[in-house]
Amino acid sequence: MSQSQGLEIDALFHPDGMEGRDHRNDHVFRVAVLACALFVLIALLGAALSMLWGAREAFATFGWPFIWSTDWDAVQKKFGALVPIYGTLVTATIAMIIAVPVSFGIALFLTEIAPAWMRRPVSAAIELLAGIPSIIYGMWGLFVFVPFMSSHVDPWLDEHIGPLPFIGKLFKGAPIGLGMLSAGIVLGIMVIPFISAVTREVFTTVPVQLKESAYAVGNTTWEVVWDVVLPYTRSAVVGGIFLGLGRALGETMAVTFVLGNAHLLSPSLLEPGNSIAATIANEFTEADSPIYLSSLIALGFLLFIVTFIVLAVARLMLSRLARREGAVT
Amino acid sequence: MNELAQWRRRQLTDALARTLATIATLFGLFWLVWILWTTLSKGLPALKWALFTQMTPPPGMDGGLLNAFLGSIIMSGLAILMGTPIGIAAGTYLSEYARHTKLGGTIRFVNDILLSAPSIIIGLFVYEVMVRPMGHFSALAGAIALSFIVLPVVVRTTDEMLQLVPSTMREAALALGVPQWKVVRQVLYRAALAGIITGVLLALARISGETAPLLFTALNNQYLTTKLTEPMANVPVVIFQYAMSPYEFWHALAWAGAFVVTMFVLVLGLVSRGVLLRTSEYR
Amino acid sequence: MNDIVSTMEPTPLSHVTVGDTAVNASTEAPVKIATRGLNFFYGSAQSLKNIQLTVAEKRVTALIGPSGCGKSTLVRVFNRIYAIYPKQRAEGEVLLDGVNVLDPRFSINRLRTKVGMVFQKPVPFPMSIYDNVAYAIRHYERLSKTEMDARVECALRSAAIWEEVKDKLNHSALGLSGGQQQRLCIARAVALKPEVLLLDEPTSALDPISTAKVEQLIDDLKAHYTLLIVTHNMQQAARVSDFTGFMFLGELVEFGMTKNIFTKPTKKQTEDYITGRFG
Repeated sequence: MSQSQGLEIDALFHPDGMEGRDHRNDHVFRVAVLACALFVLIALLGAALSMLWGAREAFATFGWPFIWSTDWDAVQKKFGALVPIYGTLVTATIAMIIAVPVSFGIALFLTEIAPAWMRRPVSAAIELLAGIPSIIYGMWGLFVFVPFMSSHVDPWLDEHIGPLPFIGKLFKGAPIGLGMLSAGIVLGIMVIPFISAVTREVFTTVPVQLKESAYAVGNTTWEVVWDVVLPYTRSAVVGGIFLGLGRALGETMAVTFVLGNAHLLSPSLLEPGNSIAATIANEFTEADSPIYLSSLIALGFLLFIVTFIVLAVARLMLSRLARREGAVT
Repeated sequence: MNELAQWRRRQLTDALARTLATIATLFGLFWLVWILWTTLSKGLPALKWALFTQMTPPPGMDGGLLNAFLGSIIMSGLAILMGTPIGIAAGTYLSEYARHTKLGGTIRFVNDILLSAPSIIIGLFVYEVMVRPMGHFSALAGAIALSFIVLPVVVRTTDEMLQLVPSTMREAALALGVPQWKVVRQVLYRAALAGIITGVLLALARISGETAPLLFTALNNQYLTTKLTEPMANVPVVIFQYAMSPYEFWHALAWAGAFVVTMFVLVLGLVSRGVLLRTSEYR
Repeated sequence: MNDIVSTMEPTPLSHVTVGDTAVNASTEAPVKIATRGLNFFYGSAQSLKNIQLTVAEKRVTALIGPSGCGKSTLVRVFNRIYAIYPKQRAEGEVLLDGVNVLDPRFSINRLRTKVGMVFQKPVPFPMSIYDNVAYAIRHYERLSKTEMDARVECALRSAAIWEEVKDKLNHSALGLSGGQQQRLCIARAVALKPEVLLLDEPTSALDPISTAKVEQLIDDLKAHYTLLIVTHNMQQAARVSDFTGFMFLGELVEFGMTKNIFTKPTKKQTEDYITGRFG
């Protein structure tokens, strides 16, 4: 038929030819990578379901009151989550009170104030804080920070702020150093690099022209940040804060060393307490009855639910800004 | 006059903000220096050859951390071996087949949650799924727990690095009539290699210090063992147990271990930065 | 505008007159590619409207027009590279030697071995110069080392870059200059011995000296290949091409021999563009 070189009829797709083999290999490849991607979904689902399964005995035995009960008796086999929940929330709150303004300050410093040559090394140094394993934080906390708190800070707080009305209750207690305040501070330091990294990254997405035009009409650095940068990046900054919160809620080793592991529900920050993660870490190997174990896993499940919600919110807030920038979420 | 006062006030606020920001940065750096200094000053003196030649001692005796180091190396190595291929594959799917799809968005979302989730939850998960049915702790369970921490890190870096490869390179390779799977394997992976390796190094740094997932899976072992079906010693859990103990020499060993781990993680960080830098000269 | 026999089977498209009516016999050339009723959509937006284009065999055809007129889109239909983007689709027919390559039964990979492409930004693969050129050959043919060496050398010679790289074939392609990288990409594209070469603004990222080298190359290449070049540089089109098509807002406004388009265009839009009244 056609004498022109090149295209004969067999250029049409032939399932047995080379094209067929390529097509099949493409298909196999696609299925393989899809399966691995789905595995990620399965992993999270598996984690949730397996913990729910392990916790079923505790939930069945104690029901909803598990969440607000202060029991914790291995002998009588009665357990409740309130003390660990309380400790988790309080230490996380202290951590955020410290970390949020500090991270914001660091982000401000690194994006607007520091000279160019300083930015890389200083930001690398701050990121180093995130790289230090949490068990190192725990050891430093236990052997160095806690003695410091117990000999210098706690007595001062107990003596001078303790007697004051209202907030005095927060700072009364024996100066043993271990306690929610110390744990909260250590947590705060751990969380700083995460929030500051996100905040800094988000600050740099503000279009330069926006900032330059604000500077050009005579605004000070602070005013540019407050009136231009922050409103532009607002939801992402909140996202970064939630990310830090998620870390603070779930942190185990640093808190375990420093919190004191006492099943105590006290308004004072100087008193030892317990957090969900610390309780599980400390008592897991000693759990001698199935209901004990199930209660610990139930605590884990509660932690999972809370951190899932916090991290989901963080992700949502961060993708709002990304979407505005046109990036892929 | 009013304008001058207003201008002065604005300058003052600005100066205050700048000062506070600088103080905040110094604050952050202060803790970093304190913690690193502590690790150095307590860990360095405790370093001795016995650390690498003797095993973890029973209470009252001196020894080393050999079985812990070995155990950590084995389990971390296994975790990287298991988590990296799956992670790269999943990241490939996200970048090459699901960049803007709903399924891709969902997987990325779940991956990010897995990435930031408390590692203790991973430990509980693997406990329920492996340790309970097996009836005992094992190094394999520990390795699997660690691989679940490796997985989301590698997924995310692979996804991001592959997306950074310019679409023209993809098109140029496909325009030669080469099938997609070959283009991904032979061209795209090569182009994104530095970034993917960095992701693996980051994952390794992360699992080197993880304690909680190992507490419920591999636990610890006083002796040296390479059997994966038995509990295996590892550095983080040993540090945990020794630090919480009342014995001074155990504390010293814990600090030595802490020092080694910190140095390892810092060096890994430097190396991965070096990897990225070296190949950016390439372009 | 042109006569193409329309059937479903491959038909020899012999000696069809390319261009408009005011043409004389010496410019007759066989038609290599012809489009019929070609429409193109990005999602729901239509970016090519009823394109009827003929591309002459072993000649250089240029497509010119202002930004966004659709010339790149059109060229990317010919090797179906748009197919990797789910939101893009083409309707109509594109006949390569009489066979409709838009037919879903048509093997895309095979098409791409017949129709090669060079992109605007030089994009060497992250491997050695040798491997860059040998890349596609390795997939399709089993050659011995000597045979492969010969093929690579032949391709590099066709791209007029052999002398510059023959001593560093194992070096990374990323170490070459921009102009050299683009010529390497041309060598890579001709390595598979295609019949058609699509060039999408091949010199817009290059310096003037490299541009001149590539333009010289285009002149040499047309002895063996059919070339279709997209350019936003009118002078380049006038320099290198035999036929030129002017596009505007997704339509092929005018098409003809280059010297006619530039000296006596028949449509006012063409004339306005060429004289620089808009761009």
